Amino acid sequence: MRTFRIPDQVARLAVLFAVAVVALVVVRHIFVPKSFGKLGHYRAAAVDEIASQSVRYAGMQTCVECHTEEAEKKSSSFHRGLACEVCHGPASEHASDPEAKKPFVPRERGACLYCHNYLPSRPTGFPQILEKLHNPMKPCPTCHNPHDPTPPHVPGTCSACHASIARIKAISHHDSLECETCHEASPQHRQDPRSALPKKPTNREFCGKCHAQNAPSAKEIRRIDLATHGGRYLCWQCHYPHYPEGR
Amino acid sequence: MDELFKQLAESLSQVSGFIYPNEAELHWALLVVIYPYLTGLVAGAFILASLEKVFKVKEVEPTYRLAMLTALAFLIVAPMPLLAHLGHPERSFEIFLTPHFESAMAMFGFVYAWYLMVVLLLEIWFEYRADVVKWSESQKGWRRLAYRLISLGSNDISPKAVAFDQKAVHTITLIGIPSAFLLHGYVGFIFGSVKANPWWSSVLMPIVFLFSAIVSGIALVLLLYYFTTLVRRKTPEMSCLNKLASFLLYTLIVDLSLETLDFIHRLYESEESIKILSELIFSKLFLSLTIVQILLGTIGPILLLAIARFSRLPDELKRVGYFIAALLIQVGIFSTRWNVVIGGQLFSKSLRGLTVYKMQLVGAEGLLVGIGFLILPFLILFLLVKLLPPWQESRSS
Repeated sequence: MRTFRIPDQVARLAVLFAVAVVALVVVRHIFVPKSFGKLGHYRAAAVDEIASQSVRYAGMQTCVECHTEEAEKKSSSFHRGLACEVCHGPASEHASDPEAKKPFVPRERGACLYCHNYLPSRPTGFPQILEKLHNPMKPCPTCHNPHDPTPPHVPGTCSACHASIARIKAISHHDSLECETCHEASPQHRQDPRSALPKKPTNREFCGKCHAQNAPSAKEIRRIDLATHGGRYLCWQCHYPHYPEGR
Repeated sequence: MDELFKQLAESLSQVSGFIYPNEAELHWALLVVIYPYLTGLVAGAFILASLEKVFKVKEVEPTYRLAMLTALAFLIVAPMPLLAHLGHPERSFEIFLTPHFESAMAMFGFVYAWYLMVVLLLEIWFEYRADVVKWSESQKGWRRLAYRLISLGSNDISPKAVAFDQKAVHTITLIGIPSAFLLHGYVGFIFGSVKANPWWSSVLMPIVFLFSAIVSGIALVLLLYYFTTLVRRKTPEMSCLNKLASFLLYTLIVDLSLETLDFIHRLYESEESIKILSELIFSKLFLSLTIVQILLGTIGPILLLAIARFSRLPDELKRVGYFIAALLIQVGIFSTRWNVVIGGQLFSKSLRGLTVYKMQLVGAEGLLVGIGFLILPFLILFLLVKLLPPWQESRSS
């Protein structure tokens, strides 16, 4: 009777394969953490490890318990949304022993600039300064109380807050126009910007005051026929008013 | 740090239109271009080798073993650019220990391991076993020891055992073809499935990658076959070269058709990205796509191969034609990878601006490292060829 014999080469490869599989099992046993995969594709024990770390932040409620005056001031200011430890750093140790450990107090210009340095990607209207131009060398708390940062003086120009618009307008044909030419802003807007928003033009005829064929403006200003140009679109749907020559 | 800022400032000066702040610099650079290029060569070389074993194309038999060794040498190097790009190569084995089945990138580790261990190494082992046993008897010193180790002590070279080896090779090749498709199809899949990127996101991507892989692999083996026969002062077999050139021509035409189909499809769909993509093609990618990839790397070789293959030129001229065409194809396929990887990152997700890629010379992802990864497979191939000569004459000895 013929018996089936596994070819010699296959048997040897099978041994090699078995060694590789055993090696994989051993390596897995050594290297894969015991708690891996219990909760998800990660080491479950990491959760306990993180949970066992000492708490560093006390939380705003804890601060308010003692610092009522500052908390009250802050609660009605533009910084009402900020937690105390954003500027003062983790203060858990201070909360448990107020005398032994004092929290950090930022007095340099750098700390405020994390949020208030000029960046084109920050939203329009968010207070931004150019560090080198805005009262150089003067620490911010000299003029602004961080718990109520509204400037002591009402901003003199629109560019104090609308820096990105001012910078774009400065290189456009509209540079010579005052902001008030198109936007009517009440004095209240300078003190509390969001409670009294400035007005914006609402129709094509507003731009036509300078750009229509029969407008009484200077000859060099580009004219269009309001009746035919751009159909029913409003001017600012194609032309950005702060940089009208851009596309 | 200053150096980085300087580099960023140089890049920013060449940015046009609107781009998001994190798009000024490219995250996938030269090394990620080299990685699909190398895996493509592996898949292509293997598919060429399978022609002889599965489809019984006898003419390409002289290139079979060379193609297998080429595939192995390039496969060894293929993941290295990725590991260098990611950093911490010592952690890479962890994807095998804790497999993540929902991550295509993690699963690729297994595709790679399967292809290396089960397909290439096993097929080469069975193919060479009888010869290795003979060499272990005829050679001396360290070579003898090496051959004994490679043969795993399996010294049976009876006709029955050798016939079994050949059967095993045939079976492994059958498994190997879909594996090779999987290996390089995966690379296309990774790019094709980035749905946020209109330059990459296309279901045709894996297929286009696959055919360009076959093209580049055949061209590389043709170059190597021609070069090694010249070095060994032999005359290349014209029937083999002709067959290789024919396959190269046909796959190149299919590759071009697929890419044209992809192009026409995009044009016809005319999604909102079409404007920025056409701007990309005509500005930043004009040289590498229109001139190098399409004209020099595809249409040029198609004409050259067609003329050399089907005209009555003397053999010497035909060989030169094939050689130049294969060389141009390599440049073309490399720029294909470049245009996919780099091109896909040159335009903003806002679809309103273009950035620029400035390659470093030195540094972890620089040009020199890239050249190193392109040379390394040839050094490994040299060693493999020394150890396991793929030539006909060494087989009979």
